[in-house]
Amino acid sequence: MWALLSRLLGSAAVLVAVSLVLFALIHANPVSPARVVLGNDASEEDIAQFDADNGLDRPVAEQYLAWASRSLRGEFGRSLVDDTSISRTIAQTMPVTVELVLWAFLLALVLAIPLGIVSALHEDRWVDHLARALATVGVSIPGFWLGLMLIAWGAVGLGWFPAGGYVPWTEGALPHLRSMVLPAMALGLYYVAIISRMTRSAVADVMMADHVRVSRAMGLGRGRIMVYILRNALSPIVTVAAMSFGYMFGWALIVEQVFTLPGMSRALLNAIFRRDYIVILDVVLIITAFFLAANIVADLLYRLLDPRIAE
Amino acid sequence: MRLNRRTLFRTGTAAGLGLLSPHLALGADKTLTIALPNNPTTLDPIQISNHDAMAITNAVFENLLEVNLDGEPVPCLARAMPAISDDALTFTFDLRDDVVFQNGQKFTAEDVKYSYEYMLDPKNRSVRRTLFSPIERITIESPTRVVFRLKHPYRPWLQYMTKFMGIFPKGSREAAGDDAFKSAPANLGTGPGVFVEWQPDTQIVLRKNANYWRRGVPDWDRVVAKIVPEDATRLAYLMTGQAQIISAPPPRDFARLRTTPGIQTGSKVALGGMWFMQTNTRRAPFDDVNFRKAVSCAIDRKAIAQDVLYGLLDPTATPAPTATSYHNAKADEALGYNPARAKDHLARSKHASRPEFELLVPSIPYLFDAKDSAVVMQSQLAAVGITMKITLMEQPQILTRAIAGTQVACLLPLMAPSDPTFIIQICYTADQIMSKSSGYTSPALDAAIQESYRYTDSARLDPVLKRIQDILAEDCPNIWLGFVGVANAWRSEVTGFRPNTGLSMWLRDVKLG
Repeated sequence: MWALLSRLLGSAAVLVAVSLVLFALIHANPVSPARVVLGNDASEEDIAQFDADNGLDRPVAEQYLAWASRSLRGEFGRSLVDDTSISRTIAQTMPVTVELVLWAFLLALVLAIPLGIVSALHEDRWVDHLARALATVGVSIPGFWLGLMLIAWGAVGLGWFPAGGYVPWTEGALPHLRSMVLPAMALGLYYVAIISRMTRSAVADVMMADHVRVSRAMGLGRGRIMVYILRNALSPIVTVAAMSFGYMFGWALIVEQVFTLPGMSRALLNAIFRRDYIVILDVVLIITAFFLAANIVADLLYRLLDPRIAE
Repeated sequence: MRLNRRTLFRTGTAAGLGLLSPHLALGADKTLTIALPNNPTTLDPIQISNHDAMAITNAVFENLLEVNLDGEPVPCLARAMPAISDDALTFTFDLRDDVVFQNGQKFTAEDVKYSYEYMLDPKNRSVRRTLFSPIERITIESPTRVVFRLKHPYRPWLQYMTKFMGIFPKGSREAAGDDAFKSAPANLGTGPGVFVEWQPDTQIVLRKNANYWRRGVPDWDRVVAKIVPEDATRLAYLMTGQAQIISAPPPRDFARLRTTPGIQTGSKVALGGMWFMQTNTRRAPFDDVNFRKAVSCAIDRKAIAQDVLYGLLDPTATPAPTATSYHNAKADEALGYNPARAKDHLARSKHASRPEFELLVPSIPYLFDAKDSAVVMQSQLAAVGITMKITLMEQPQILTRAIAGTQVACLLPLMAPSDPTFIIQICYTADQIMSKSSGYTSPALDAAIQESYRYTDSARLDPVLKRIQDILAEDCPNIWLGFVGVANAWRSEVTGFRPNTGLSMWLRDVKLG
């Protein structure tokens, strides 16, 4: 319990540190948000009015505290560029991104772990070489290009899936799921490669361990030995999987753009092109929070998988 | 009904299908789906500056005149073209008496006067106000007759009326508020499409105006405009039937699309569709005419038109399409591709020792993707010793900076009405929307433009337009690159659609097979 609490406190400290760094970076920018929105030709009066309207004329520490307390309450303020509610934007876009990442993560786990195990069990045989080749290709393909190829294959070629766009659940479960298949594959395949290589390496290591050899010598069944192997090999896999889950929120930026999914990452990309600093700040902070949450969950899983850590 | 295994199976199957696709239970409607690259910033007809969004707003709002597919003004809410006085100062419009707004209110001359006066009021900050500022007064002669009196002869204003303005009900601004016009203009126009919803970055939905004054039009029940910024994805939407019409098809794929079964294409050089590097003559290094000329002469427009844009550009170094009678070949030659001349101009420039600048390029295609072209220009400029840094930015932000005159240089395609002086007027005369972006004025140019407003026949107009190009070639305030072709691709089940020079998409007459 204390360990969990300390982990939570640690994550909160990281979140505060990240928010401070982000806030400092924005204020270190030589071009003020007012100049970005109103242009370099805007008069000093216009700039002052803009700053006063948006609370940018207050001391930086005060601005930070006001922003942080608002964010903690889930009130992210308004976009400086088009005056839309950031909370509303996040509420509309976050479910899309979270769902995309969950599907991609599920796909990665379902494909990668069996692939890694099979590869480890048949080390240096053709299955292993094939899995290794697939993993190398998987990590080498840029997500953007993979997305386009999947569209060409699954949408234009086969006609099984839509080329892009998000179909809400309210328009039917099947159309909705079809709209998520290609984006989830585009996002998940890279992590299939990463997690499968980690699984192979972890399983292969544990297979060489003394207790596995003793188990074999004692004549235990192959299935039971595999349970022991997997239980001991899972810790590094959980670590990589948790990291992958966090990273997926970043990579979703590319996938959502290619598949025109109205997700949070696409909103971030739009904000970057618009120089909408406040939106960038809020969205990056939320992605950081997801990353930290994934790591906390991984910590909890370690303890479940290996009681020695808890002790 | 007996409860047995068969009944349970049937009920279960029906329930499952209903869950999987509730649309199966709905009556089939005719939905026209189009794919646009840009997310609009507003749907207000007096504020709109995005050509893609105009495809939507022009289906919601109408004006006294509209353009036909060839870009010529024709009557819309007016019964006929206006009667024009001999001094070309008074324009009398007879209005249709069978038009009602989408909210059921009858359309009259009061609405015309109200709409124009609202747009002309400086405090309402319409981006197009200056285009209509020569309007001196608007008089109502009867519910179906309205008279516009101009301050001076102003030939292009009828063309501007077709694109940059819409009529809305009297009192609607006070009742609905400007925000409604900006983001949810439901029941505010007379057009064939009624606004339903706008999901930013996703789609805009219109439904058919059942009381539209043109009987039997439109053929569709709904229009769904999907926002698809990626070229390849937009193309895939077309290929898979997710969209029936797409805007800005990628130039590199356009030739292949022409021969693709089930797909039709069309392109037309737009007389008002100029593509240019909007350089700020008040900011270094473009504050030096020799530097501007060096950049102009360093760019091989024909190579870009042929190898990057695959023929979807009419390359020219002057603000006039090459096929027009008023194209000034001498001016075009003076500013056209000539690396030796570019180096000579650069050597005479005060920025010869540090020839570099930043070019803002639209990150999302507007009319066409300009990123590849920008990279080619970068290499062509490097060949004469000029360093150009490319910065990607959303087109609305580029436009905001250009309007404020805070950009050094930006790559802009503008889709204007067909009048030959439009872009010259808005960029190089005072108090216009783009005046600050060029920072350039010229009394000689002002006089020539004013003179051109008096003429409508090419015998008198062409010499003035050529003189205007001579003045501009001498001062070279901007780098003109060419005139873009309006290009669209659509599926064969769509009929009644053709690209036109006035709007990116004219949706009213589209039929779905």
